[in-house]
Amino acid sequence: MQLVNGLRLSLAVSAGRTITSLVRLLGLGAASVLPGEIASRIQPQILQMLCRQVKHGVIFIVGTNGKTTTSLLLRTMLERQGLRVVHNATGANLVNGLITALLDNTNLAGQVAADYAILEVDENILPLVLHSCQPRIILCLNLFRDQLDRYGEVDTISQRWQKAISPMSPETVVIANADDPTLSHLGQKLPQRVLFFGLNEPKYYLDEIPHAVDSIYCPSCGHSLDYEGVYLSHQGDFNCPKCGFTKSKLSIDSREWPQILIGLYNKYNTLAAVLVAQEIGIDDNNIRDSIKNFQAAFGRAEELEIAGKRVRILLSKNPVGMNETIRTVNEIKVGGSSSTTLMVLNDRTPDGTDVSWIWDVDTEKLVASGGTIVVSGDRVYDMALRLRYSQKDEKNGCKLMIEEDLKDAIATALEHTPDGETLHILPTYSAMLEVRELLTGRKIL
Amino acid sequence: MSNNNRELTIGWLYPTLMSTYGDRGNVICLQQRAQWRGYNVEVLPLDLQSTVADFHKVDLLVGGGAQDRQQEIVMRDLRGAKASALREIIEAGTPGVFTCGAPQLLGHYYEPAIGQRIEGLGLFDFVSKHPGIDARRCIGNVVFEITASRLAKELEAMLGKPPVVIGFENHGGRTYLGKVEALGKAIAGYGNNGEDGMEGAFYRNAIATYSHGPVLPKNPFLADWLIQTALAEKYQISVSLSPLDDTLAMQARSAMFKRLGVSESVAAARG
Repeated sequence: MQLVNGLRLSLAVSAGRTITSLVRLLGLGAASVLPGEIASRIQPQILQMLCRQVKHGVIFIVGTNGKTTTSLLLRTMLERQGLRVVHNATGANLVNGLITALLDNTNLAGQVAADYAILEVDENILPLVLHSCQPRIILCLNLFRDQLDRYGEVDTISQRWQKAISPMSPETVVIANADDPTLSHLGQKLPQRVLFFGLNEPKYYLDEIPHAVDSIYCPSCGHSLDYEGVYLSHQGDFNCPKCGFTKSKLSIDSREWPQILIGLYNKYNTLAAVLVAQEIGIDDNNIRDSIKNFQAAFGRAEELEIAGKRVRILLSKNPVGMNETIRTVNEIKVGGSSSTTLMVLNDRTPDGTDVSWIWDVDTEKLVASGGTIVVSGDRVYDMALRLRYSQKDEKNGCKLMIEEDLKDAIATALEHTPDGETLHILPTYSAMLEVRELLTGRKIL
Repeated sequence: MSNNNRELTIGWLYPTLMSTYGDRGNVICLQQRAQWRGYNVEVLPLDLQSTVADFHKVDLLVGGGAQDRQQEIVMRDLRGAKASALREIIEAGTPGVFTCGAPQLLGHYYEPAIGQRIEGLGLFDFVSKHPGIDARRCIGNVVFEITASRLAKELEAMLGKPPVVIGFENHGGRTYLGKVEALGKAIAGYGNNGEDGMEGAFYRNAIATYSHGPVLPKNPFLADWLIQTALAEKYQISVSLSPLDDTLAMQARSAMFKRLGVSESVAAARG
């Protein structure tokens, strides 16, 4: 039986790898899902068999926003220490994407050559993946409202995570965001060892709680939470006046760490990666050097130079993500080095087919800071309508330009970007891939 | 004519608990369209801290969708005097738009997939049931013609053609109407339950619908009807609103009609 299983694994691996080579040879893309799909049909237990072989263990990264950036940062920390890392770098985070990433570092005998596997996992499939693989670490970044057409509710997801993680071995360590009430609560409930990251810097408090929040109610008793201050969406310093539930104690001092890229959300991503790296014994110097030299993942605050102009792509795929990218862009706008923004709204499956979320975004703030906003994407008029209603009266605010065709939209936006300024592009997921393809001339997925 | 001394108070039901699907867009739309015409608008949150007196200040009601836990918190709060106040103002003709979870709360009851039946206010004669955790959610773009007789007549007078609403639905529960009039007839999408072709309900001046999107910005005639009715009820005058530039809304509608292969003229859909 074991022999059959082993043979099947070899066969699955070679099939998967052949497909990877073929797809890449023919220039059809990065082959980030299909090889895994084929391989798991041949050997249904392939994920389990490959995960088991990763020398020091598997690290799962889950959360609504920041998975790709955090895992890339963590990966560079580990590699700087000389460790061999498997990572689903394309962001393909469903089961077949995980298998494909592992296959890339597997020889034809089915042996995995890696010290660690860093796997971004879709929030909805975590329970499923935990059936096949016992990770060394589970990193829970945040839980925001995202793609309601597919997933449903933040509470439900957290409850499912708790149910799936609780029975796992005590050797699994959970690292969670203390500032996120749902995850703080989850961490406090788990029997495993749990470490918490978060901010202890009241200077970053927002003036008010944004509208696009999900959990300002106590995850334990349902009473309204009291916030001393809010850092981002519902993340902040909180406690429940009724049942005493409170933000978990931090295992890291945020004031001691610089951050990668721009935006407060990247401070969270940095702290999360640092805490994981510390937990597995990465040298402090390697951690700090990785932060200092970090290069953005595709579309995540990624900077490009196009026709002598600077372009920064800020993936904005849900209300919290877009609120934070707007906050970041506005800081730069106020500084005087950016006046043009391009927003691209698509409604394909990876974006979520329901675009109503744009009404939960505080686009009023982007409009109030003036300049030019160019709009494009499958739902260009829905985005334009949202911006029209963000304008207090019909004359003031920013200049709104509508381009159905994305290529024209990029050209128009570049044209309206004065020399020396940065064009900011805020696309949804599939739009980000399209924008990048148009700007760099190649596909990534 | 100056509208400056005319005021409109929009009561927003539980903004932090019932606003799952961009329902804030309905509030923004009503507020802006009234303000652009010179009316003073106050948005009054009707939430856990509100009193019965707050309910009686309201000229126009907006209610959105909620997650199950949030809906429970709302139902625990919306009892007794607050429930009576809400019932009273709707019965008295205060116009309102209730989307997603809000209608379930106004009907007789809602039976969730798991757990106990949640009793509603019983204002609308309908019941809502979730057919079970494995049942498919009704998700997608939706188009329906407004058929509720008085509303359809008034909108047709405003528009010069039969009113067609476009939106997005995403609901697990199914709603079955009793004696209450349906809001409309589905042209594309599921509607109340995916079985009888009906969508939403209309009672007094209250609109209940599964259609979010949010529903008002892309159906500005509905927003204007609500504003107009609210002003007429409040000041006991007949109101005719000045037109606004709705080109973007019309373009957004056309793009979706085209994608769904639905003709904008209902006559064709009827045939």
